Amino acid sequence: MERFVDEALVLSTMDYGEADRLVTLLTREHGKLTAFAAGARKSKRRFAGALEPFMRLRVQIVETRGSTVRLDSVDIAAGYYTARQDLALIARALYAVELCRELTRDHEPHPELFALLAEYLARLDAKEAGPTSLLAFELSALAHAGLMPRFDACALCGGEPGERPRFDQSHGGAVCEPCCGRARDAVAIPPALLSGLRALQEGHRTPLPPELRARARGLLNVFISHHLGRRLKSVDFMAQVGLD
Amino acid sequence: MTPDPLNRLVAQLAKLPGIGEKTAQRLAFHILRAPGEYAVELSQAIREVKEKVHLCARCYSLTDSELCGFCRDARREEKVLCVVETFADLMALERTREYRGRYHVLHGVLSPLEGVGPEQLRIKELLERLNDGKVEEIILATNPDVEGEATALYLTRLLKPLGLRVSRIAQGLPMGGDLEYADQATLAKALSARREL
Ligand SMILES: [Zn+2]
Ligand SMILES: [Zn+2]
Repeated sequence: MERFVDEALVLSTMDYGEADRLVTLLTREHGKLTAFAAGARKSKRRFAGALEPFMRLRVQIVETRGSTVRLDSVDIAAGYYTARQDLALIARALYAVELCRELTRDHEPHPELFALLAEYLARLDAKEAGPTSLLAFELSALAHAGLMPRFDACALCGGEPGERPRFDQSHGGAVCEPCCGRARDAVAIPPALLSGLRALQEGHRTPLPPELRARARGLLNVFISHHLGRRLKSVDFMAQVGLD
Repeated sequence: MTPDPLNRLVAQLAKLPGIGEKTAQRLAFHILRAPGEYAVELSQAIREVKEKVHLCARCYSLTDSELCGFCRDARREEKVLCVVETFADLMALERTREYRGRYHVLHGVLSPLEGVGPEQLRIKELLERLNDGKVEEIILATNPDVEGEATALYLTRLLKPLGLRVSRIAQGLPMGGDLEYADQATLAKALSARREL
């Protein structure tokens, strides 16, 4: 059985039986893994406090038969403890880890996504990442997963989206007015939303005003749930507790 | 061939948490060998726990009457309310013999990744019982994990504007513990939550 060391971000955890825990990790080199942490619920020594969502760890892993691996030992590289003291930051961090969990498949390495998520969590912890930066993070994460929504041109004809653009999740982005007859689910969106999202995609970090942010949130929710086949759970949480 | 009634008992016992097939068999044989009254009392106790125990109408802990013992006990402080996730947590706090206030059991925690929101917890009921103005301080005793913390922060946002004193139970090193052997997360928390002397 092979043993390896990697860096990992905890995406989620699930209690298993009386004493153990299953931990979903995004590792830098080995992609997403589900690791079995024996005794994690009972023994306070080995894994204490480390197997929590959005912890950054150095992990020692043992490969086993089947797709689950065994977690041998962990070392906390960053706990992002400041972010854990603020409800809005917790909500954004959990949304970010859930998105990464759903965008990846087991054992497929995504070193850029790992770096992106680690960097985003560090900025949350430094209180440098507001609500707009979550949208920017999502767009980058989607791009890494090959699901980049298109805002710069009509997804159908490639032309300018024009003065009265639409958005259609199944065609993957903006649709111009003349093409909208071919995009049944397309909804009209303000041109300012399109340009705002395009600016975020291009790496500009200008905060969007709250109305545009709310529209962008709605649009990305529809886009993401269309492509994942289900709605992210933490998005409902953000809405329920009145945060974005 | 083991008799069917014995098989059925073993199968039921094996459904209990932490009980495997072997242990279930051992327990079943024990019940079989014990005097007849024992089996009667055991089955009656099991039936009664389901029939008679329900949630307290005020604090949502467990009781066999309208209000639980903690809510009925006039010697307990009415000004302080301790909010816990589960009844087991309440019992743990009771074992300290240090707390003399009242309780409120949420029956869970906010769990963004599991889709558990405020409506699924006894939060509305908590706010309702504060209406009589008797409570002055609320102690948030949810677990020191991300969900417990999110729940405490959410409750703080709701409770502070009501003019209540809101406190969070301290987190840090175990009593009699050894700094050298403390885990990273606990030690980091203990450092950041240090107090001035
Ligand atoms: Zn077009
Ligand atoms: Zn009660």
